[in-house]
Amino acid sequence: MDYSLSRFLYTLLGLFIVMNWGMLMSSTMRRIIARVSGRIGIPWYQPWIDLIKLYSLRSQITHGTMFYLGPVFRLMGGVGLFLFMPMIYGSAYFMNYSFSGDLILILYFQFFGMLGMALGAGEGGQPYSAIGISRGLSQFTTIEVPMTLAVISLAIQYDTLSITEIVKAQQGSIANWTLFTNPFATIAAMLSLLGAFGHSPFNLVKAPNEIPIGPPTEYHGTFLGVLRTNGAILHVTEAALFMNLFFGGATSWLELILKTFVIYFWSVFVGVVFPRFRIEQSVRWFLKWPTLIGIISILIWM
Amino acid sequence: MVQVILIIGLMLMLLGIYGFMQSKNLLKIVIAFTLFNTGINIIMVSVGYLADAKAPILDKLPDLNEIPNMVDPVPQAMVLTAIVIGLGVTALMLSYVLKLHQEKRSLDINNFKDLKW
Amino acid sequence: MVSPIYIIVIALGIAFSLGFFGKSKLNFAGILVFLGLLGMSFISGQWLFAFLNDTEVNTLIFTAGFQPPYSISLQMGLNEAVLTSMVNIAGLLGFVYLFRELTTKGIHLLMVYLVFVMSMNVSLMTRDLFNLFVFLEIETIALAGLILLINRKEAFQAGMKYLIASGIISGFLLIGIIMAYQSGGSLNIDDLILANSSIGKISAIAGFLILVAFVLELKPFPANGWGIDVYTAAHPGIGSLVSAAVATTGLYLLYKVLPIVGSQFNDYLVAIGAISFIGSNLMGTRQDNPNRLLGYSSVGQVGLLTIILGLAPSLGNQTLPIAFSILVSHFAAKAGLFWISGIIQSNHIKDWSGLRSSPTLMLLFGAFLLALIGFPPFPSFYGKWELLLTMGGNQQYTIVLIVLLGSFIEAIYLMKWLGYVIKIERVEIPRENLTLHKQIPIWIMGLVLFAMGFLMNRLNDYGASIDYLPLVFIFLLFVLDFLPVSFKNTLSIGGLLFYFIHLWEMVTDDLIRQIFLVIFLIGGILTFVAGYAQKGKRPGFYPTALLMYLGLAGIITAQGMFDFFYNWELMTVGSYFLIIRGKRSMPHAYSYMLFSIGGAYLLLAGFALAAASGAGEGLQALQSISILPEWVYGLLAVGFMSKTASLGLHIWLPGAHGEAESDVSPMVSAILLKAGVFGLVVLFLSIGMYNPSAERLLYVLGWVGALTTLMGNMSAAFQEDAKRLLAYSSVAQLGYILFAFTMMTQMAWLAGFTYTLNHFLFKAILFLIIGAIVVKLGTHNMYQMGGMIKKMPFSFIAVLVSIIVIGGIPPLSGFAGKWLFYNAILEKGWYFQGALIFFSGIVAFLYLFKLIYSVFLGQLKDNHRHMNEISAWVLIPSYLLIIGIMIFSAFPKEVLIPISDAIAPYFGNDALVWEGTKAVSHLGYWDGTTIAIVVGTAFMLILAWLIVLSAKAQKVEQFNIVFAAERPFRPETTHVSYNIYAGFHKAIGFLVTPLVTTFWNRMAEWTLDLAGWGRRIYSGSIQNYTIHVLFYIVVFYLLSMGGY
Repeated sequence: MDYSLSRFLYTLLGLFIVMNWGMLMSSTMRRIIARVSGRIGIPWYQPWIDLIKLYSLRSQITHGTMFYLGPVFRLMGGVGLFLFMPMIYGSAYFMNYSFSGDLILILYFQFFGMLGMALGAGEGGQPYSAIGISRGLSQFTTIEVPMTLAVISLAIQYDTLSITEIVKAQQGSIANWTLFTNPFATIAAMLSLLGAFGHSPFNLVKAPNEIPIGPPTEYHGTFLGVLRTNGAILHVTEAALFMNLFFGGATSWLELILKTFVIYFWSVFVGVVFPRFRIEQSVRWFLKWPTLIGIISILIWM
Repeated sequence: MVQVILIIGLMLMLLGIYGFMQSKNLLKIVIAFTLFNTGINIIMVSVGYLADAKAPILDKLPDLNEIPNMVDPVPQAMVLTAIVIGLGVTALMLSYVLKLHQEKRSLDINNFKDLKW
Repeated sequence: MVSPIYIIVIALGIAFSLGFFGKSKLNFAGILVFLGLLGMSFISGQWLFAFLNDTEVNTLIFTAGFQPPYSISLQMGLNEAVLTSMVNIAGLLGFVYLFRELTTKGIHLLMVYLVFVMSMNVSLMTRDLFNLFVFLEIETIALAGLILLINRKEAFQAGMKYLIASGIISGFLLIGIIMAYQSGGSLNIDDLILANSSIGKISAIAGFLILVAFVLELKPFPANGWGIDVYTAAHPGIGSLVSAAVATTGLYLLYKVLPIVGSQFNDYLVAIGAISFIGSNLMGTRQDNPNRLLGYSSVGQVGLLTIILGLAPSLGNQTLPIAFSILVSHFAAKAGLFWISGIIQSNHIKDWSGLRSSPTLMLLFGAFLLALIGFPPFPSFYGKWELLLTMGGNQQYTIVLIVLLGSFIEAIYLMKWLGYVIKIERVEIPRENLTLHKQIPIWIMGLVLFAMGFLMNRLNDYGASIDYLPLVFIFLLFVLDFLPVSFKNTLSIGGLLFYFIHLWEMVTDDLIRQIFLVIFLIGGILTFVAGYAQKGKRPGFYPTALLMYLGLAGIITAQGMFDFFYNWELMTVGSYFLIIRGKRSMPHAYSYMLFSIGGAYLLLAGFALAAASGAGEGLQALQSISILPEWVYGLLAVGFMSKTASLGLHIWLPGAHGEAESDVSPMVSAILLKAGVFGLVVLFLSIGMYNPSAERLLYVLGWVGALTTLMGNMSAAFQEDAKRLLAYSSVAQLGYILFAFTMMTQMAWLAGFTYTLNHFLFKAILFLIIGAIVVKLGTHNMYQMGGMIKKMPFSFIAVLVSIIVIGGIPPLSGFAGKWLFYNAILEKGWYFQGALIFFSGIVAFLYLFKLIYSVFLGQLKDNHRHMNEISAWVLIPSYLLIIGIMIFSAFPKEVLIPISDAIAPYFGNDALVWEGTKAVSHLGYWDGTTIAIVVGTAFMLILAWLIVLSAKAQKVEQFNIVFAAERPFRPETTHVSYNIYAGFHKAIGFLVTPLVTTFWNRMAEWTLDLAGWGRRIYSGSIQNYTIHVLFYIVVFYLLSMGGY
């Protein structure tokens, strides 16, 4: 248990890198999407401009304590995931606080931010928020099914639930990556990722043009700024989770940036190709092929 | 001889049973019941009867070798009791019939099915 | 010692002397009869007393100066003393009860009454077969006379039917007697027995006729339409005598003549009894006329006793004690119930709700019904236990099945009736009937019932293990029921606390039992604290609640199967009365009770089968089951699962917990359900880790647990009723627990205990708070609530903590459960069950969000704007429980290590290695304390940052929004709560199609249809009934002697 100041400062540094990379990645992706639909898109520095604007707005309103705490919970969710995730394999400091828990902790800590956000948005009283949350929760139930199966498959394969151990087992050669040693689990997880990242066809929660941005509808100013910050961190961290589990982890920041970009790009790629599902379609979709593949991924190890 | 009595008794008893089943009139049912009883009484008497034996009427202590040659008095005593009881039951039945008739002005058994299930 | 011949002398003497009284002195005549009956009771009573003190031996009384067979002899032994005492007491009390009716009808009925009671006495005592016949006839005639006490056409018809049918029966008896005399040479029963046993001289047909006549006198189903009609139409005062005294006599007569016939008919007697017991009770399920219903029940009870008589060869010298315990329950209960019926004077059982105006009668009514079903502390409980255990020990499993099935069917209608009486709209009973002389006999019978229960307890081998003192305390609370709630509440808390301290010493070296004792009794105290918020007197609440807690505590300290089951039943009874207190609880309490009784009977069957292995009746005997182990374990497991509401047996729970009173819900949900868990724990620990005979069973149960979890969580997500949502959540949580325990590894058991503790903590909080809110807002529907966070912030925090625990979100203790679960599943290799479990875990978020959002967040309704926080008495126990959660979350090690050690003897001790505060398993690691520190620190930093940035945020109401291009003006239109998971339902809602409910409903329908179809044999026609009797004789003959 290392509570030293240096670990704390290094973790903060890592967080800073991840946040900025997250913002850059999101503007890049938005540019890509724009190009696909024949637009030019935003400048690459747009997220920073947005963030500065949001943090410096003068007038704000709050609907109550839980509304106020919602973004705190949400950002805590993202930061927590980062804290418990070993980011750079082999680096003593960028392992963060991953010694406090294993893969199970990461899986369940996801809910921390989601729940807090849901409650905060709930106190906002905006119907769109509640609709968005109900969709998100419904969809999330089945998104997690292939993911759970894949995690079980990994646990059988590597006989451990420690992310660091899983990354360690994949070192040495590309052929050691889970992608090649356990392709079914990887496919199941990557399909599940589509839902987790919330791009089309699974962008039901924020559903632009339908329930204008869903849960955060009532959030503005600093609150929205916090949420944006979290978004940037969360995208990279979640991509890093998949990177660690299936794509050999990262031994340097460059490797991390490359791999998370590709993983994130996968969801954007699917997103620009397919239109949005309805909720029941989305819920069912994950129970079909992704679940079947997940089951196969376990069966081959049994 | 004993067999004949026994058979008569049995026949009467069966006749009584047939009577309960077939008749719709309460009075006839009561009569059938007495037939049934009489049949049973006859059967009982026939059981105790010994052909060519003495009546069990004693004015002095009988010789031991005479006893097997006497009709058994116990069934007869039983029959007497049974007859008395039968009388009591029949009387009670008739009073019930009276009550029932007062209630519905009918003796048809099909009118008395208020209690069921 | 007064000779029993004086019983006859007194009766006949007074009957004859009554002729001297004219119509003017009827009261005086009545008193004379009363004194006569008192004298008769005294004579039989003093003999009984003498026999019990061993100062007398079996005595034969000769009449007419000759020895048998030349004269009639009477026997006075222990059996006769007991039975004549019962008959005379029934006669005496019945006379007190009927005093007004009999004395206004003239002296004739008084005479008949005396002769009636006397005839039963003589037929009990006589050793002469023909004399027996004579007095049986006298009894018949006297009874037919007494039926005329009521001047109604139904009574006339019933009497007529009775006369004809018994006339036929006695005809056959007479033939049988004469044939027995012919072949056996004597009318003395002892001579005949001797003749039969030594030389086999009694002709078979004689024996058959005697037997069938005595069987038919017992009114066996289905040849008993004439008898049932008597119960229905006669005055209930007479009905009580028929049921209590005549049936008692008839059974003893059968017992008396049985040796003449020999033992070859015993199996047929069992079959006859079984048909009667099951068939008659089945007919009872469709009955709503109280007297007729009691008639069916009487026939059923007599059927059970016939089974016992038939089983005499295998029961040995246990036969009479077992028979007596059931007989005396039936005797007291039926007499009491018929007498109550005479007070109520109604044709429908629903009208008995008037009993609520008299607490004493209400208590006795409940006691009578429970005694009939066989609940403790009534004598029949001991009898049934002994009977079933002996039968199980002899491997006569069919008998076990028959007895349990019949008892269950009887419970179906008796419990329905009890529910009506407790709950249905009150119909006033005629005040003029509530006179003292009508009530005193009922009280005395109630006293007899309790006293006999106590006596059975003392006579029983296990009696010492049952502590009567708490029962006395509970009775005291019943007496003090008129006092205000706060006093009784304090008294109850004190009682529980005292009992907790008292019992703690018994379990000091057993951590598992300690855990459950804390859950049961400390949990009980905490829920009682919430009771201070209640107003009024809450009549009946405290005795029943304490009864439940007594049972719960008892199953923990139980050493043997007997005291375990005894306390299990106490707990069932107490909880039933608690659950039925809710406003709309009647049907739900009913189904709870049926499932509980069914479950209890499965337990009983399991214990009975376990007895076959001959390992004794201690709970540790379950560890060495050699005969049919899978059945034993399966029956016990399913029995316990009826309490934990596993899939298939869960349908009672949502209603029972959802509709219960606000502080009862946490009792039954957080605490009572753990009784089933405790049972499973005891069972599984007995099975042991590597038991090949239970492997398949455990595997199946594991799947059941996983499916229960999914079903519970999904159903909860679709509820609109807040308390039902919580109830389904309980179903799911218990599914997790079942699943965890079936894995039978140390890791899994750690997970199981973590879930057990967590569920206790958070479900108590949730039900306490949501229950109080439901009462306060006056609605169960969540969509009618909303915005309560501002009105009830403390409630909100408590609920928030609870749902974080349920969701398994770090850093609270719920995550410990999830983490242990993952490890356990991966170790065990139950991957797909595990995946199902985790899928349901995520489904849980649906209802958790719906609950907290719909109630506390969203839009505040206009009619709730004046609301304020719920009572502090509810918040105090909730926050105490939250402290528990926080301790468990921050220091999981302190809880998990002792549990690990406690279960290590069963499963080994290799699940977890602790490095400081970090738990390391074979697969992964988790450090609850560090997580709490890291999350706490980061959370505070972020919060501080936000506060710095947006300190000046302006507070506005939730309603200050624009939605869909308009400014909404009614909160209702913008509170999105009703059916919010419609899309989810559309996608996979088919998974919660209520197949199980449909299944049980069909079962219920079919049972009732079967009863409806079956009872059509009771067409009301005298001739049909006669045919039934003859047919019965013929079929019985063909089956028993016709070579078939």
